Amino acid sequence: MRQRAEQLAATLPPLLVAAERVASTVAQGVHGRRRIGQGETFWQFRQYTPGDRPETIDWRQSAKSDRVFVRETEWEAAQSVWIWRDLSPSMDWRSSDAIPTKRERADLMTLALAALLMRGGEHVALLGLGARPATGRSVLSRLAVNVERGDGPGGDLPPVLPLARHGHVVMIGDLLAPLEDIDAAVRGYAEAGIRGYLLQILDPAEEALPYDGRVRFEGTEGEEPWLLTRVESVRGDYVARLAAQRAGLRAIARAAGWTFSSHRGDQPPQAALLALYVALSATLKR
Amino acid sequence: MLTFGPLAFAQPWLLLALAGLPLLWLLLRVTPPAPRSLRFPAIRLLHGLEAPEETPARTPWWLILLRTAIAGAIIMGLAQPLLNPSTRALGGGPLVLAIDDAWTAARDWPARETVLHDLLDQAERESRAVMVLTTARDALDRAPLATGLLSAADARRVVDGIKPKPWPGDRAAAAAALQDIDLPLPAHVVWLSDGLDAGQARGFAEALTRLGRVDFLRGRDSGLARLMLAPESDGIALVVRLRRAAPEGEDFATVLAMAEDGGLISQVPIAFAEGKLEAEARLDLPAEMRNRITRLVIDGETTAGAVMLLDERWRRRPVGLIDASPLEDAQPLLSELYYLDRALEPFTELRRGTVEELLQRDLAVVVAPDTGQMPAAEHNRLEAWVESGGVLLRFAGPRLAEGARTAGAEGLAPLLPVPLRGGKRTLSGVLTWAEPARLSSFDPASPFAGLAIPGDVLIQRQVLAEPTLDLVEKTWARLSDGTPLVTAARHGDGWIVLVHTTANTDWSNLPLSGLFVEMLRRVVAVSQGVSAEGLAARALPPVATLNGFGRLGPPAATALALGPEAAKENRVGPRHPPGYYGSQTARRAHTLGAAAPVLTPIRDLPAKVRTSFYSRDTEVDLQPWLLAAALILAFADLIVALALRGLLGRALSRGAAILALAMVLPLGEARAQSGGSSPPGEARALEATLQTRLAYVITGVASIDETSRAGLTGLTWVLERRTSIEAGPPLGVELTRDVLSFFPLLYWPIVPEQRDLSEIAVRKLNAYMKNGGTILFDLRQIDTGATLFGGATRATQALQRLTRRLEIPPLAPVPPGHVLTKAFYLMQDFPGRFSGGTLWTDASDKQLNDGVSPVLVGSNDWAGAWAVNQRGRPLNAVVPGGERQRELAYRFGVNLAMYAMTGNYKADQVHVPFILERLGQ
Repeated sequence: MRQRAEQLAATLPPLLVAAERVASTVAQGVHGRRRIGQGETFWQFRQYTPGDRPETIDWRQSAKSDRVFVRETEWEAAQSVWIWRDLSPSMDWRSSDAIPTKRERADLMTLALAALLMRGGEHVALLGLGARPATGRSVLSRLAVNVERGDGPGGDLPPVLPLARHGHVVMIGDLLAPLEDIDAAVRGYAEAGIRGYLLQILDPAEEALPYDGRVRFEGTEGEEPWLLTRVESVRGDYVARLAAQRAGLRAIARAAGWTFSSHRGDQPPQAALLALYVALSATLKR
Repeated sequence: MLTFGPLAFAQPWLLLALAGLPLLWLLLRVTPPAPRSLRFPAIRLLHGLEAPEETPARTPWWLILLRTAIAGAIIMGLAQPLLNPSTRALGGGPLVLAIDDAWTAARDWPARETVLHDLLDQAERESRAVMVLTTARDALDRAPLATGLLSAADARRVVDGIKPKPWPGDRAAAAAALQDIDLPLPAHVVWLSDGLDAGQARGFAEALTRLGRVDFLRGRDSGLARLMLAPESDGIALVVRLRRAAPEGEDFATVLAMAEDGGLISQVPIAFAEGKLEAEARLDLPAEMRNRITRLVIDGETTAGAVMLLDERWRRRPVGLIDASPLEDAQPLLSELYYLDRALEPFTELRRGTVEELLQRDLAVVVAPDTGQMPAAEHNRLEAWVESGGVLLRFAGPRLAEGARTAGAEGLAPLLPVPLRGGKRTLSGVLTWAEPARLSSFDPASPFAGLAIPGDVLIQRQVLAEPTLDLVEKTWARLSDGTPLVTAARHGDGWIVLVHTTANTDWSNLPLSGLFVEMLRRVVAVSQGVSAEGLAARALPPVATLNGFGRLGPPAATALALGPEAAKENRVGPRHPPGYYGSQTARRAHTLGAAAPVLTPIRDLPAKVRTSFYSRDTEVDLQPWLLAAALILAFADLIVALALRGLLGRALSRGAAILALAMVLPLGEARAQSGGSSPPGEARALEATLQTRLAYVITGVASIDETSRAGLTGLTWVLERRTSIEAGPPLGVELTRDVLSFFPLLYWPIVPEQRDLSEIAVRKLNAYMKNGGTILFDLRQIDTGATLFGGATRATQALQRLTRRLEIPPLAPVPPGHVLTKAFYLMQDFPGRFSGGTLWTDASDKQLNDGVSPVLVGSNDWAGAWAVNQRGRPLNAVVPGGERQRELAYRFGVNLAMYAMTGNYKADQVHVPFILERLGQ
């Protein structure tokens, strides 16, 4: 008994527990994918229409009446989803102790999304680790270990890797890199026929620039420091620039047929996860 | 050295740097603070952004102020500010200490010693030669001499030997001593003066300035010596007079009147008015008290001048009563001498005898009752005495007029103030119709002015004065018809006073009235006291002398006998220090105050002389404090600068906050502790006493204690319902901790688990039982036998153990008819949860404490039977059972409470039938 409890606890690191909790609240709101597709589970009988494959005819049901019925199973086609999250130093930042760092939030979103997708039967892998997408609890546990260890390619943007066609890529990060670089990365995948999703996680301070007076800003990744004598005077410009960045991201996503959304660190992760999942399931349908 | 009041700067030129502070202010203002440094991931978006208008960043004003304060503190600190700066020896030459050691220096002498020692310490450090010069003559009356150049250590020995002298100084001699000294010039002279000038101060100061730089030290005006002048005695009150040096400002002093043994007799405050040099106060005391005064001292002043020694001159006046005729003794209670004796005795020193005997000693007044003519020798002696200042008080009588006539015939002066008519005037008598005369009110110029005249004083006979031109002036008292009753005239230096009636009741009833005593007192007051004749004639050896601090001691070895001239001129000096001279029995006070020198503050000094004041406060060097303040401020500035730049890590700020808290907390805690509420015992005492409460002993066994509490609660409810006892909820009592005396009844369930009683508990319980408390011990078991201490059960063993050291009286089972059986309910046995147990009570019939037994021992577990829950339902079943048993248990409880609280009130009721029977009802 005790041994089992310990095992159970070991398979559920705190991050994974949090992710599961987030995922479960979202799963309750989505109500599954009740639609016809490839799978084992019976879904419904339907009158045969020309074009149906003869193998699908359920003879036992058809024998009960004059009509011919086709047995339809629930769609169970597993899709492959690669999740990438930004591991660059700029993510390890928060403006106050009250909110998590962007990295923490990104990790949580990654795992929660993975858990959610695995519940739906999808195969999930972290981009850049070389592992094939898979599903199951053990996979999720391994994923959690990887996430907590911070495994994965560094850098502001994911490397363009050859992935299976019709796969999906989810990019989670602050996406503050120059738009051209992002565009190149997205285009690299889109051209390979991979659909994707961009989730921008920002700190509230990055959105509002809530500083005053004379401040010398220093980058987190070795950027050139920038001295501002009165921060409040450039706040409007900054917000405009941020909006432009977002608009650029949205345009890139649209051009590639991808989806873009933004999440702020002080908001609950559920909403963003729900939006992400809804958008993702819409693409997974196809 | 730059001095501002009590503050001085040792390095004043450094203060010039303060002028640079405004420059610093400007500099700080234009230098912006370093910017905050901030990590920011989205810095790429900031690149290229510029503030639209570049306003120069200003340092906040408070930061500038802080930094200016730091700079100011450093500058001030380096300038070495000194609080209460002491005088310092400056320059490199020898140090000359000119020390005033006359009597006037004794006040505040310790301040001088402090300065001296500071200076000598400094001289020792700097290995400077020191020369010491005093300004008063020494005890051998030698002029002051300067010492040679001494080392500081030697000078310290010299200085330690210097004490203020009880005589005036001689600065002229000191200045002369300066003429021929050999010193490497320039020297630094410090003149520790007494601040008073006897006319030679300027010359002395000039002599000093020739030696070099002079620092003149004096006391503040209020610290200058004051002088107690000789008091004036008017026979009624002692008028104490003080003199001070500086007339500016108001000043106060208290004069203590001391007895010979040093005891305080009286004290009187004296206030100097603005602009006045002298102040006086009346010391109005009963004569007996006044005569005990031998010293008047200014409180808190330790100079020879602040002490006034009193001798016979200020004591009660010696009055001689001429007792010439032994015939008077036939009817002593009617004689004039008797009346005079009684009237003069309280306030004078009365001597009786013939003129010859009397005049051998000092006398202020000679009172002559109605006497005939004296022998010529005596007459002349008396006249000479009056002429030298005595007062002769005569009374009229049958023999007076005749005697005067005889004297005239013999060519002697009549010794009367006015010529008298022959015979007498009879105002009332058997053959006269005239009314006895009354006194008219006294003339304001008369010594009797202001005395109240009783209405019943009647003069029946008197002698009449010849009307002369100056009769009115000579009249001190007159009758209502204008005829003089008391006349007086100067005779030489003395007075001759005549009362125109007798000193007994033959001619008037004046001697019977209080007015007579008052009049005599005024007459005695007119006298000058003892004429100096007796003591002044010869040289008087010293008996006791004052030292420089005004303390009376054995005569100084160097004091010489006081000759008549010295005594007359009040010459106080080394050879005649102030003190008592003469013999122990007849001594003469020789004081500074009698000479009444004028005190003048030193005002006019050469311009080169720098004046400063003594200060008893030790010098405080503020330099380390200021520098420390600058350091602390600099630290604060560092923190502020770090905070402004955002470099102050959270941890650091947290640490600083903890540090600050740690510094503040102990204070707050200490305050919280000191401001604590009332002691806990008080709350408990109030709780126990505001309502009557039953109490139980907390045994330490929780279930038993709970049962006790519930049981007493149940009993309290029953008492409230059925009787007039309205008790509050019961209280548990911790025997060691709590006060027992609040409770009339203590319920004590015996459990073997209870621990032995502490010493305190035993003492408390014994006191409780002795003073009327009742303890009910409950063994809580079914009674097993007729013995209590047999050791049969654990409960009895526990009872034995717990009560071992208690003073338990002998016990016996409650007899039939005991008060307990009829205190409220009539009952014969006392069941509780169990029935049938024996209740033991005090067997002795000592009627202590209203006959209430201090101890009741039973075993029926009453609390168990009384115990109720919150809703009033019984908690325990009773054995053998039935509501009747529980009811009886409650009835026992009611009886018990009644017994404990009312005592023998019910016992008395027990006897009512017998009393009624005896009364025959």
